[in-house]
Amino acid sequence: MQPTTHHLPPRIKRIWGYSALGSLLALIVITGLLQLTYLYWNWAVWIPIASLVLTIVEPIVEVALIPYRYQFTRYQISDLAVEMQAGFIFQKRVAIPIARVQNVTLNAGPLLQWQKLTKVTVATAATSHSIEGLELPEAEQFREQIMRLAREARHDNA
Amino acid sequence: MTTPKRTHPLGLLQHIAKSFKDYWFLFILLLSQWRHINSIWFWGTLALMLLVFLIWPTLKWLTLSYAVTPDAVIIHSGIFVRHHEHIPYSRIQTVQRKQWFYLRPFKLEEVLIETASHDDNAPEARLAAVPTDVADAIDHYRHTAPTTTPTAADEVATPDAAAIPVPTDTPVLAHYRINSTDLIKFGLTSLIFIPFLLVLLGLYNKLPKSFTNSLIDDASHMALVMLIGGIVLVIIVAWLGAFLWTLTRYYHFELDREPDQLKAAKGLFQRNTITAPIARIQAIRIKQNILRQWLHLQTVQVLIASKAASDDDDNDLVIMPVIANQAVYQTMTPFVDWLPQTVPDLTALRVPRNWYLIRNAVLFVALPAVIIAWLWPHLSCISLLLVIIAVLQGRFAGRNTAGALISSNLLALQTGHFWTREVYYVPADKIQSMNFQQSIWMKKTQLAHLTVNVRHGNHNQAIELRYVPVTAAQDLYSWYLHRT
Repeated sequence: MQPTTHHLPPRIKRIWGYSALGSLLALIVITGLLQLTYLYWNWAVWIPIASLVLTIVEPIVEVALIPYRYQFTRYQISDLAVEMQAGFIFQKRVAIPIARVQNVTLNAGPLLQWQKLTKVTVATAATSHSIEGLELPEAEQFREQIMRLAREARHDNA
Repeated sequence: MTTPKRTHPLGLLQHIAKSFKDYWFLFILLLSQWRHINSIWFWGTLALMLLVFLIWPTLKWLTLSYAVTPDAVIIHSGIFVRHHEHIPYSRIQTVQRKQWFYLRPFKLEEVLIETASHDDNAPEARLAAVPTDVADAIDHYRHTAPTTTPTAADEVATPDAAAIPVPTDTPVLAHYRINSTDLIKFGLTSLIFIPFLLVLLGLYNKLPKSFTNSLIDDASHMALVMLIGGIVLVIIVAWLGAFLWTLTRYYHFELDREPDQLKAAKGLFQRNTITAPIARIQAIRIKQNILRQWLHLQTVQVLIASKAASDDDDNDLVIMPVIANQAVYQTMTPFVDWLPQTVPDLTALRVPRNWYLIRNAVLFVALPAVIIAWLWPHLSCISLLLVIIAVLQGRFAGRNTAGALISSNLLALQTGHFWTREVYYVPADKIQSMNFQQSIWMKKTQLAHLTVNVRHGNHNQAIELRYVPVTAAQDLYSWYLHRT
């Protein structure tokens, strides 16, 4: 089997958008609380101002990076190994031999569930690595494939 | 042996001792209540202590029972929540036997059994005081049933197998016993005196204020020389304490190679014996702290997927406390046969330029250094010292990073952290995953980071080689990705 490179489903971009919105909301709440510390406990005024700047900048950066993040997040499976890649400015690649895979976990938070996506985590005896979101049937197929290959390649070591 | 048995009554002492170790602070609480001897708090604390130090350990001891069956070790435990644990022999990572000197006349010992499960830090089974033939029996069953996977919950043992096995003498293929010169060398070059030093400093804080004040008054009259002398004295005391401690811990250290396992025994007051199957060794680590680098001595440890050696020197099972540089490989190959015969050439993954590591180390201390120099200008020498340490540290890391693929299934990696040099030998099938990292700026400089992940204890040991040549890192990564 030739290794094929897969991208994440395009809808993951929407999830990332919503999660940027989520960080915006969380940061607004934190800024509000810091504003209260300024009003009632006379903390320094620059603390809420710094927080406000962060509240504006962080979600913008997060949203702006979505196309980049999507473009460079990839995974591939061959008979021997799973490989995951992310990032271009900071390129990361991880190789996980299928014989080392202990388990594959699918889990989805409310946002992913709503979009019918799921996060896939591949765990070895030492580390675990995640693919941020896959279509549900695709994820199940991924899991079946890895577990089948793992059963074939299994030499009990850990 | 198949009917569950309780541990020896002396095990109760062990349980009580453990309670004292865990809840000693209750005594301080009691002392703080001493003046209000009639208050409810005093009596409450007393009752609590009675519960913690007497009733609870007794109940624990009463409710714990064990059985060694041909398929598995079975442990029943728990006071309110009952645990029934089956540990099949094929799943055992290490068996650890601890014998305190007062248990020796009774032929008793503590037995700890560990598997590779990720569950909390406690061992799977802890039998406080059991006859020594229990561990012998476990050992015997481990040898006879190395790979069979027993059916779960197979509690009923066959009657013929129920007899206690006669522990047969397994042949010893190689044997090592530390001599007193080496033991003394090991004790003297151990850096655990630093924690001892911290304990001594802690004691200084505990001294009554009036006493320390008068000391400081005296000190201000004394010359600087006297002060430095005092500091040196404290360091020497800590060092001697650590030396004696190491001496008792590693007294009569012995290592045996049996056909399929390694057995390390050590200790004076508490004899500690650990057996680990060779097939379960995740990696071998050869380690040198700064003192041992100067003296050309090395320490050899094994990394296994069990916490058995967690109270060992630096959390690992030491299989060779101290050995001269040139003798390492000759001495170790009889024990671990896949180690190389000679010092391997590790230049493939050398760092070409130390500058990046030095820069990163300096950046790491930059903020605290600047803050110190800004807020307390008279302490700016500390800032300078921090920067110098960072530069030296970066240089050390750069000079000591190395690695190479020694054979088609053995990888050697060397790292330097905080003046400790470590060489790892990892069999290819024990590498759990491998990371390759490169930023776009590193594309220009032709460098990359490579991380090799190995299981160690209950966690991951990431062996990270930073700023190594990209071609060598890429070669190793694709070798790993495509190996069958």
